[in-house]
Amino acid sequence: MTTFDQVIPVITDILRSYREALIRIGGMIINRDLNGRVRLIVSKSVQEDAISQDLLTAIADLMAEHLGPHAFPPEHAVLYEADIETLLKDKPGMPLEDFPAIRFVDRLATESDWATISTMTTRAPRIVFYSLKGGVGRSTALAASAWAFAQQGKRVLALDLDLESPGLSSALLTDDRQSTYGITDWLVEDLVDNGNAVFDEMVVTSTLSREGEIYIVPAHGRDPGEYISKLGRVWMPKIALTGEREIWSYRLRRLIEALETRWGPDVLLLDARAGIDEIASACITDLRANLVLLFAVDSEQTWTGYRMLFRHWRTSGVVRDIRERLQLVGAIVPERDRERYLDGLRDRAWDLFVEELYDPVPPEEDTADLWSFDRADENAPHAPWAIRWHPDWTALRSLYHHMSSVDATGVRLIFGPLIDGLITMIDNRKSVQR
Amino acid sequence: MPSMNPDFLDAHHRHWDDAERLFEASRWANADHLYGMSVECGLKRLMIAFGMPLTTSGDPKRDIDRVHADQAWIRYETYRSGHPGGAGYSLPTTNPFATWHISQRYAHQSNFDQSHTNIHRNGAAIVRGLVQKALIEGLVV
Repeated sequence: MTTFDQVIPVITDILRSYREALIRIGGMIINRDLNGRVRLIVSKSVQEDAISQDLLTAIADLMAEHLGPHAFPPEHAVLYEADIETLLKDKPGMPLEDFPAIRFVDRLATESDWATISTMTTRAPRIVFYSLKGGVGRSTALAASAWAFAQQGKRVLALDLDLESPGLSSALLTDDRQSTYGITDWLVEDLVDNGNAVFDEMVVTSTLSREGEIYIVPAHGRDPGEYISKLGRVWMPKIALTGEREIWSYRLRRLIEALETRWGPDVLLLDARAGIDEIASACITDLRANLVLLFAVDSEQTWTGYRMLFRHWRTSGVVRDIRERLQLVGAIVPERDRERYLDGLRDRAWDLFVEELYDPVPPEEDTADLWSFDRADENAPHAPWAIRWHPDWTALRSLYHHMSSVDATGVRLIFGPLIDGLITMIDNRKSVQR
Repeated sequence: MPSMNPDFLDAHHRHWDDAERLFEASRWANADHLYGMSVECGLKRLMIAFGMPLTTSGDPKRDIDRVHADQAWIRYETYRSGHPGGAGYSLPTTNPFATWHISQRYAHQSNFDQSHTNIHRNGAAIVRGLVQKALIEGLVV
């Protein structure tokens, strides 16, 4: 019986046997719907052409025969649309191998498909902290980075986008300094054009900052209120009277732009949710990030997860749009056998990056134009910025008290490569902009 | 005699097509009427996908669902909100058909002009877009 992963190879095989004849039909979309069933979308003009109709009938019959439950009955297998190009504008899909005029488009139940990559912002740099697995010290590292930037006199805007498991604000704020509202409140109010009612009271400053300023935008306010009921609505798109649809992550992007205008930060730090998750996708692909930190521990789960993600970018044809923003972070690196552990982490990362992200380097060829790095290159995206494991930095809850007494040496001891990497990245960006 | 049971999808398409022809010909009054009919049929087809109960002949089972465009715009939300697949099928919160009523088909045509009809044409285009999306996503076959 045909299963999901066989759909693309099977349909490609079917079409291959009609390669010449298909030229007559022109542009075509192979459309896989929400249930994983496949239909063809062709131009309405084809409906009048008997030869094309015979061809489509033959293909529809073969689809029903070979795709089984992933096909429609032949009489429902073809949709006719006046304008295929407009459909593709909303969702371009990916080219079908060997068929330049045919695109494969996947319809997902989630808004995000991980493959629509927004351009980088040219305003203050946006840095996303992402981990495939929870509990690897991602939020703690963000709090420490915010602290380090503020020490340098920078204004930092830190957003807790881990809406399903918020915690960043407790690391940077005492209980009595929590804001009245959070990101979730704004996303819900925005649906009824009432975002301004919460906008000014969703940001608080942390007293941890000595030189600069740390503005914190939490997931929820002091009193989370009906948090579950609100969380269940943040994913809603907003529909304008013109019918224009603004998906939730674009609403979030609008919020971030407004917060940036209001508070004028030098840098934005975004705490993304762990895993291949809707919020994570928004943070990485939709929020115009300049740098995405990929937190990694040396585990099978980590590498399998990152491989799935990178491969998706590669097969969707967007890998070039995203890869230069990625940087591996070695999370909670154990003290014991530290060097050997980091070496192993780098090996695994290099294997993965070479296979999925870096340009292949043909032998004896000039590599100047290729985006590829040696295993040992310290400045390569796969070379982990190591964060040491330390008991004082493990409990997010008591982090505020720890951070209020820590000094720069203490922070550097644990987070040195991360902080140096971030500062270099921001300085380089400034010099490029100049 | 062919079946005269409702086929909301087909009716949605033909009302829209005819409304567009009339709109092109500046026949505002009847175009306006048909945009409303197109919306009613399109929304009812989507309401069926979102769980609206039907009689054996394919009509809405409950009286409260036997409504025209102006009310269907509101009624639709009940079914959409209650269905897990409904999040991607929202309508604007302002109902463009609040100024449309089925009884207007008896009104004098001088009451209709392009700007009045345009509001309903835009509203109908939104519903048409949702029906197209439902077809593509496999919610409606």
